[in-house]
Parts: sequence; structure tokens; C-alpha cells
Amino acid sequence: MFNNKKFLSILLAAVFAVLVLAGCNSEVGNASNDSANNEETDSSSNEGEVVELELFSTKTENPETYQRLVDKFEAENPNIKVEVVSQPDSLTVLKTRLTKNDLPDIIATGGNPTFGELGRAGVLKDFTDSPLVDDINEGFLYQVKDIVSYDEENVYGIPYAGNAVGVLYNKAKFKELGLEIPTTWDEFIEVADKIEAAGEVPFYHTWKDAWTITVPWNDLVINIAGDDFAQSKTEGEATFIDRYSEVADKMLTLRDYSHNDVFGKSYADGNQAFANGESVMYLQGNFAVPAIKEFNPDIELGMFTLPALNDADENMFVASVDVLFTMPKDAEHPEETMKFIEFMYEEENATQYMEEQFAISAMNNVTYIDPIMEPLKDKLAEGKIRQAPTHYYPAGFPAAQSIQEFLIDGDKDAFLKKMDKDWDAAVAN
Amino acid sequence: MAKKHTFYVMTIPAMVLFFLFQTYPTIQGIFYSFTNWKGYGDWEFVGLDNFLRFFRDDRTQHAYSFTFGYSILSTILVNVISLFVALGLNAKIKFQKTLRAIYFLPNILSVLIIGFIFGFIFSHVIPELGASLGIGLLEKNILGNPNLAWIGIVLVAVWQAVAFNTILYLAGLQTVPMELYEAARIDGASRWIEFWKITFPLIAPFFTINVVVAMREFLMAFDHIVALTNGGPGTSTETISLLIYRGAFQDGDFAYQSANAVLYLIAIVLISVLQIYFLQKREVEL
Repeated sequence: MFNNKKFLSILLAAVFAVLVLAGCNSEVGNASNDSANNEETDSSSNEGEVVELELFSTKTENPETYQRLVDKFEAENPNIKVEVVSQPDSLTVLKTRLTKNDLPDIIATGGNPTFGELGRAGVLKDFTDSPLVDDINEGFLYQVKDIVSYDEENVYGIPYAGNAVGVLYNKAKFKELGLEIPTTWDEFIEVADKIEAAGEVPFYHTWKDAWTITVPWNDLVINIAGDDFAQSKTEGEATFIDRYSEVADKMLTLRDYSHNDVFGKSYADGNQAFANGESVMYLQGNFAVPAIKEFNPDIELGMFTLPALNDADENMFVASVDVLFTMPKDAEHPEETMKFIEFMYEEENATQYMEEQFAISAMNNVTYIDPIMEPLKDKLAEGKIRQAPTHYYPAGFPAAQSIQEFLIDGDKDAFLKKMDKDWDAAVAN
Repeated sequence: MAKKHTFYVMTIPAMVLFFLFQTYPTIQGIFYSFTNWKGYGDWEFVGLDNFLRFFRDDRTQHAYSFTFGYSILSTILVNVISLFVALGLNAKIKFQKTLRAIYFLPNILSVLIIGFIFGFIFSHVIPELGASLGIGLLEKNILGNPNLAWIGIVLVAVWQAVAFNTILYLAGLQTVPMELYEAARIDGASRWIEFWKITFPLIAPFFTINVVVAMREFLMAFDHIVALTNGGPGTSTETISLLIYRGAFQDGDFAYQSANAVLYLIAIVLISVLQIYFLQKREVEL
């Protein structure tokens, strides 16, 4: 049959074929995509044919809710099929697809740096004149512009849902101790003092997990360090030393109103401990509520804003855009895509989303808010909300770890100097 | 002839897969370490910038010193303990097989599960024990203390690694001929002398392989650190692998971390070669 040489050469040829294919797989992938796209465009021009849209979501918690809404949409629009895609590490996937010019039809993401990058890349549709934008909360709208660029005026994504961070509190214990919701920093500390005097723990810090430190940190920073910090710092006009000193002091104050193993407890420990009444307050976001209720379904919860300042009217809280909808500028099926997006913003559907996902609506006309978050309502309506400032920190700037180190050793001057130095290094690289 | 074909069929696919999934990415990584690639998008060559940046990066230097300290200490502990356990398990004792199975158990458990179980022990069991015994130092989770967290990490790493190294030492001990012990006993050698003059020299090849394997394993530490401390508090327990992963895949610092990985690869190869060179010198043959 084969002689030895022939056999080897066939094998080697096969090896090279595999290598060559692997080497240019991106082009092969694109080519097949293009042909698929062409087919779709052809078919969409025929009336009555089915258009398929890809809804690419970067959030892993809500695909079931999307699917329920998509089912409803498909029932109303038999010509449009929507496929919900939610995969791990989706932001990286999105960035990769941007470089391949292969953006999904509908993008559901948050107010994150990747969205900012897409906005700056100029590949997204400009929604500035869309009627949908008129109903959006001005605080959230400010964020989606700001994340794209410091003085951006165009809207490249329509905010849909937000999350809030602040202070979760145990209503039963507040009543028992005769406490009221504090609206200034001094009142806040007074409440904490009263709780300690009653022999209870004011806050259950879970600072073994460094990210949980950024929860109160962010609330303090937006009120104290100023909106323009990231921009000014990068331009060399602001430093941590002059803007963050008060933030650092207040973090130390909060640290001391807690249990005695602040850096030994994790987020999961904290949810359980707070649910079981081991502390009266808990510095967390609304996203922790489902986990807390799992440990204790009967807990009476409430949430108020962390009053970072002594001027009650000035206080803002961190509420970030958790979900926004956007689409590519050169969409293949612009009409069908817009139809789906408009459907999502209809009051009934948006309300269903907010209820199921325990989220804050970004639309002024969708007024549903879970009773737990009732005290946030006024600030929300006034637009006194800001994006988490850590989102503006440059990539490779180890903020959470540095803050954790500082809270352990308490050396403020060294900490602020290190923050300045690390920021400059991260920007330079 | 036909036989030879079969061998090619058996070996070449493996070579192709190895090349595709190991060699090719390695070369790619080395290539990107000379660029400013972010993991996606455009890039340009930056020469040796990434390698020079290494020398002014405190975080990376700290990761190196932590990883080396941790690896050396853990390697010593693992080898001492597993040799000790292997000697015990090799003796004629009751339940020998059962005990061997039990000592091997940690090796088949997933590192993440071990990490979470020990995480629970450190954050709940030990502090409660400390509180009830009145030992102040134990009342807090040691993983939350930048000066003590490494102890917890070494403890868990050693606990798991001992299982595998014990098996290797056991295999080594089986190769020592019984006649030597009988002869030594007739000459009146004590157990201590027996160990140092017969057992240890004769299992030296296994000692070499154990030291090299254990050290390499610890130098690559990643998963149980993620499960226990995630590199914290601060960056006090951040290993090089964890830093490379975070920097490259979370912070978009792909090119710099590729350079870091290249340096680290060179360091690991050097260490392994040196270890083998020095340890093999003292191996004896019967």
C-alpha cells in the first residue's frame, strides 16, 4: 500500500494544513460570518421572512428575565426571532468582537469601561434625539455620557436599570433601639454610637473581600473628592493627597464601628451575619438583598443613602447603570432592532424587569421601586446619583487592594502617596 | 512496515496537538512580550520596555519575593513530612492499606473545594476555638492579617501536596532491597544509621524528583491562593501566576504580563536545572 515516505509526507501535509487553518482561523471565521450576514440581509428584504437578532447581554444574573420578555416580544412579532446570549467573560468577548467588526445586533451592558470604549470607537448608534431618551433619569443619562468621555454630549446607550449602594438596615432593630434614618454624617455616627451603647454591632464589614471596601469608599468619594477627579488627576491638576484625605479619615471611622475581625470575614459571611441580626446596618448594595433574604426570609430590610456630608441636601449616592441597551451604528436590521429596544422600555415590560431583578428603573415614567429602597426615591428623582468612581480609575490601578492595606495599617499619608504614585504608573503604561 | 505506521499514528497527533496548544501559544506569548498589545486590537513593537518596567514595579517584585519564600518553605516542609509519613506507611503496621488510601485522599480533592473548606475553618472554626480557649491571636481569621496570611496558605498547600509526594517516596522505599537492612542489622546498625546510610542514599533519585516537582508546583501556585485569600489582604499573598492572570486578563496589561511570564519561565527552568544538577550529584547506585 503506502510506502514509508509517502505516508510521512501525507501526515506532514495534514499537519501543515491544520497549522495553516489555525493560523488564519480569524479570517475563515469572518468569511463564514459574512456569508451568513449576506444571507440574512437578503432574506430580510423579503416580506414575511423571519429576522434573527442577537441580544448580547454582559450580565449573568438576568437571562431568565430577558427570555421571558423575549418570548412575549416574539409572540407579538412573529417575524422577529431574538436569541439571548449571555456568556462568561462577556466584556472581553465584546471587545474582541469590536476589533473583528462583528458587533451583536443588540447590546445589553452596564455603564462600564468597555461601553466607554465602544462609545469612543464611534461604532454605536447615537440615541441623542431618540424619544426614548426623554424619559430617562438625568442622573443615569449623565453617567452614560460621562463614561464615554468627560465632556461627551451624545448618548450612545440608553440606561435601563440601575443598582444602588448605600446602607442596608434592619428595620426591626432600628425600631427597637428607637433610631431614625440619618441624613447627615454627624447623625450617622450618632446612630452608630447609640447602637454600640446598646451593645450591638453597627456595621458588619466584610473586608477580607477587598471589593466590598469599595462600597462605602465610592459613596464617600463621589461626595468628597469631586466629579472631575479622574480627569483632573490624569491631567496632573489634582492629587489623592489634596482630595482624598477626608475620605480616608471617614473610612477609618467606619472601620472602628464594627465587629472585631473586619479583615477576616468575607462577603458571604457578611450576608449571613447581617441576615441573622448580628449587626444593625450593613454597607452594601441592593444586589446583596436576595442573598440576605435567602439566609433569613423574614428579615425586615430597608435601605438609605450613606450620608457622607453634613449638608443633607447635597448628599449623593452611588447608583450605577447596571443595564443599558445599545446597538451598532451600522445595524443590519435597524428597524427590527429598534422595535425590540422600544418594547423593552414599555412601562409594563420595564416594570416586570425591575420587579424580577430587584433593580432601580432608569426611566422616569416607570416608577416602580421595591419598598426596601423607598428612602432612596427622592434623591433618585433629583438625579443626585453618580456612577461608582472606581469605574473611572485606570486599568491596572490596584485601588481595592491598596485601600485594604491602608485600613489594616492606618497610615494615611503613606497610603495617599502610594495612590498618587500607582495612578501615575497605571496611566503611563 | 505496518508496525511503524502504527507508531506514527500514535505519536504524531499528540505532537500536533502539543504544538498547537502549547508551543504555538508560548511563541505567541514571547512575541507579544515585545509589544504593547492589550489582549485585543492594535499593537506596536516597544522593544524591551516591558522587561525594563519589571525593575521599577514594586507589586511584581513583591510577588516574586512572596512566591519564592513560600515555595522554598513549602518544598522543605512537604519533603520532610511526606518522607516521614512514607516511612511509617512502609513499615509493617496494621491497616497499612487503609492508611495509605486515607493519606492519598487530599490529592484527589479539588483544590478549590479544599480552599473553601479551609477558608471556612480559618474564618469560623479556629476563631471560635481561639475565643473559647482565650488565645487572642487565634480569635481573628489569620487570612485577614497581612503578616500571618502566608501561614494559612502554606498550611493548606503542604497538607495537600504531602499526599502525592508520599506516594512517590513509598514507591522509592519499595526499591530498597531488604537484604541490605538484614545485613545492617547483623552488623548492629541502629535504625537511625540504617536510615541515613541505607534508605536515604538509595531513594535519592526519588528525593530529587520530589524536590523538583514540589518546588515547580509551588512556584506555579494559583488556585488555592484564589480560594483562600485572592492575593490579599492588600497584595500580601499575591503570587506571580495570580499577578500575571490579573494583570493580563483583568487589567488589559497583556504585553507586560507576557514579558513577566517569559522572565518567570526562564527563572523556573533555571531553578529546575540547578536542582537536578546538584541533587543528582549525590545520588548513589547499587
